[in-house]
Amino acid sequence: MTPRVRLWLVCLGGGGLAALLVAACLRLPAFGGLWHPYGDRAVRTSLARHTANTVASVNFDQRAFDTMGEMTILFGAVLGCVVLLRQARDEHRDPPEPCEVVPPVRRYALIVLPVALVTGLYVIAHGQLSPGGGFQGGVVAATSLHLMYLGADYAALERIRPVEAYEVTDALSASAYLLLGLAGVLTGTAFLANTLLPYGTFNTLSSGGTVPLLNAAIGVEVACAVVVLLARFLDQAVEIEEAKGEMSAP
Amino acid sequence: MHHLLPLLPAIPLLVAAVLVAGGRRLPRPAAESLASLTAAATAALAVFLLLHSSPPLVEWVGGWFPRHGESVGIVLLGDGASLGMAALVSLLTLAALAYSWHYFDEPPRGHAGSYPAMMLLFQGGMCGFALAGDLFNAFVFFELMGVVAYALTGYRIDEAKAVQGALSFALVNSLGAYFMLMGIALLYARTGELAMAKIGQGLDRAAGHHGPDVLVLAGFALFLTGLLVKAAAVPFQFWLPDAHAVAPTPVCMLLSGVMVELGVYGVWRVHGLVFAGPGGVPAADATRVLVVLGVLTAAVGSVMCWYQRHIKRLLAFSTISHTGLFLLGIGVLRPEGDVGTALYVLGHAGVKAALFACAGVLLDRYGTVDEFQLHGRARRLRGVGVLFAVGALALAGLPPFATGLGKAVSEEAVGGPLTVVYVLASALTGGAVLRVAARVFLGLGRRPAAEDGQEREEDKTSGGSEEPETRQRLTGVPATMRTVPAVLLAAALLAGAVPGFAEAAGHAVEESGSPGVFSSAHWTASGVLLDLLSTLLAAVLAGVAVARPGLLSAPGWALPLRRLQSGHVGDYVAWLLLGTALLGALALPGVLG
Repeated sequence: MTPRVRLWLVCLGGGGLAALLVAACLRLPAFGGLWHPYGDRAVRTSLARHTANTVASVNFDQRAFDTMGEMTILFGAVLGCVVLLRQARDEHRDPPEPCEVVPPVRRYALIVLPVALVTGLYVIAHGQLSPGGGFQGGVVAATSLHLMYLGADYAALERIRPVEAYEVTDALSASAYLLLGLAGVLTGTAFLANTLLPYGTFNTLSSGGTVPLLNAAIGVEVACAVVVLLARFLDQAVEIEEAKGEMSAP
Repeated sequence: MHHLLPLLPAIPLLVAAVLVAGGRRLPRPAAESLASLTAAATAALAVFLLLHSSPPLVEWVGGWFPRHGESVGIVLLGDGASLGMAALVSLLTLAALAYSWHYFDEPPRGHAGSYPAMMLLFQGGMCGFALAGDLFNAFVFFELMGVVAYALTGYRIDEAKAVQGALSFALVNSLGAYFMLMGIALLYARTGELAMAKIGQGLDRAAGHHGPDVLVLAGFALFLTGLLVKAAAVPFQFWLPDAHAVAPTPVCMLLSGVMVELGVYGVWRVHGLVFAGPGGVPAADATRVLVVLGVLTAAVGSVMCWYQRHIKRLLAFSTISHTGLFLLGIGVLRPEGDVGTALYVLGHAGVKAALFACAGVLLDRYGTVDEFQLHGRARRLRGVGVLFAVGALALAGLPPFATGLGKAVSEEAVGGPLTVVYVLASALTGGAVLRVAARVFLGLGRRPAAEDGQEREEDKTSGGSEEPETRQRLTGVPATMRTVPAVLLAAALLAGAVPGFAEAAGHAVEESGSPGVFSSAHWTASGVLLDLLSTLLAAVLAGVAVARPGLLSAPGWALPLRRLQSGHVGDYVAWLLLGTALLGALALPGVLG
């Protein structure tokens, strides 16, 4: 297809679709209304289960099955990346040279690293109480480790980040989530039922029954998954080289 | 009993995680046995639940049973159709795992667990999608099966073609998924609900006496876009041949055998629960959408199928053609059409997976899947040749295969001129496969010579000089690679021939769709005659093609159709946009009226 024909097709299809979407959006409920059937129910339920953060209650209690699916999507995506970004037959590994880092960058990275790591862990741990949770905190914790790459070099990052261990922990925390779900079936209630633990005192770390456990499993899973994902891409960018001739610049 | 429903997706997912965790330490046979065992156990659970699914099972995950008619939880539906699909998914995964037993090149650096783990994740995603009774939950599992399928398609990273095919698969399908999500957002905004049945009730209540408005129409068009991309309906079908041509054979068995059909299943499920009421899309419009797309898909798929010489691409186009027939079957919105389609899907899964399995044997034995290059070379593979030919006849609708029964029941349901579409599409696709069988396994006809000098359009996708998927070219065919297609064909035969099976399947499907309506699915004289007619046509077509290749070579008007399949992702995206607009336009009269 010539670019011209393609452009016509896009204009035609996109135009029709845009008209449809605009017409549909004009029929949406007006902004700021009082009618929130799902929101009202979710907040009521979250309070009944002593979970201060309603979003956490939706994610890890009311619709924990969706979260299981989302976690598995991430898990599958990481596994897919590990398989697709493997060393191909015509590639070899070439350990990168250590390189100089400007002192201010080094200082900044080494000071911020522990702060960022603790922030990530805090956000995971308080998922059931305050905004944030396993998904967000996991990403913060994982990226904090990569400050080592900015502040020192790739070899230093590889020392604090044994990829195999992270891969295994990723899989184990995903299994933990699924096992917590199965525990519900084994104890005679339902899959992922939040009935295993007492709901605790509202607004404390141990409140919400299984919500903190599921949240922690997700936090570990996301942190490990992001580390493995970045490691595979960094590997491709830094270490794995094509065999024939063209070595990239140091 | 209903508490066991979430285990159908959860068990494969759990074992997949365990396989990844222990994959470095497990020896390869252990990892593959564990995966096969899991697929078998899930299949057994699905069949067990299927036998207890009357009345249909309903599970609220996490125990969120509705109070005063309202729930915050996620509902799973365990009726004949959903459990039937879950059982089919699990059995086909088992077949694919058995077929790939010690078949691939060793995965990277001792990761023995990663390939079986991905197959199990794929299985879990498909089972979850089949059971979903909640629109957002369906989306989540839809994404899961997509993500794993992209990675499995690009598994052979040493070939640029594999990466290219996986990339267009991923881009087009992700775009479809975003459209689906937008559709969910619109429907949620209107009703404040996510359970499919609840959304349907909400739409009816909101519409009152006015009927549906443009928001419902947009939700319908967007949500269906996602499903039809997966189902590879025209004009969303372009990704499928590119992906099937490069995906490893066991993955093709799953993609063609059941993942594409899950798109059709999703359309049926969502239409029935969300859009069938007075506030949804009027029946006449839904029928127009599905029948128009169905006929187009069947026509494009079968014509393109006939003009392929890359055997895996040929089979991929025949899948597109059959998806069109499935869309027709559910499109007439009659219980008999649903039953016919269900039987057709069952039979097609077995037959198509078996045909791919045979094509895989050719690829690994001769390092090519080009019909011309293979001419007469596979004479010694007599067993595989017989299986391939039987599969071709079953694809054309030979009684008493389940494909024939499903085709006959569907033909009766759609009636009138649409019957011709069924006969022609199955004759063309069956004929194309039969032609391949005659040339490759019998060496009939003249060996088609490569045209001198100029490279023709079709040579670019000829399928010559492909990398075999095994470590080296096979010298003999391993027992598993021969047994699996034989068993699959036997299953497709039994599903059509065993008295009572069709009635039971029909009953289960009707109970999940429109309760209280009972028709019976069985062989009729006219059905058998039409099946024989399409089989005969297929044989004649194949015979003419082999004896007088000039008569049936691609005419001038088929060339532009081939050129549309350009491999350019931008083209595919343009078609996708056009297709969504087309969906909206086809259903528009119901909103205006």
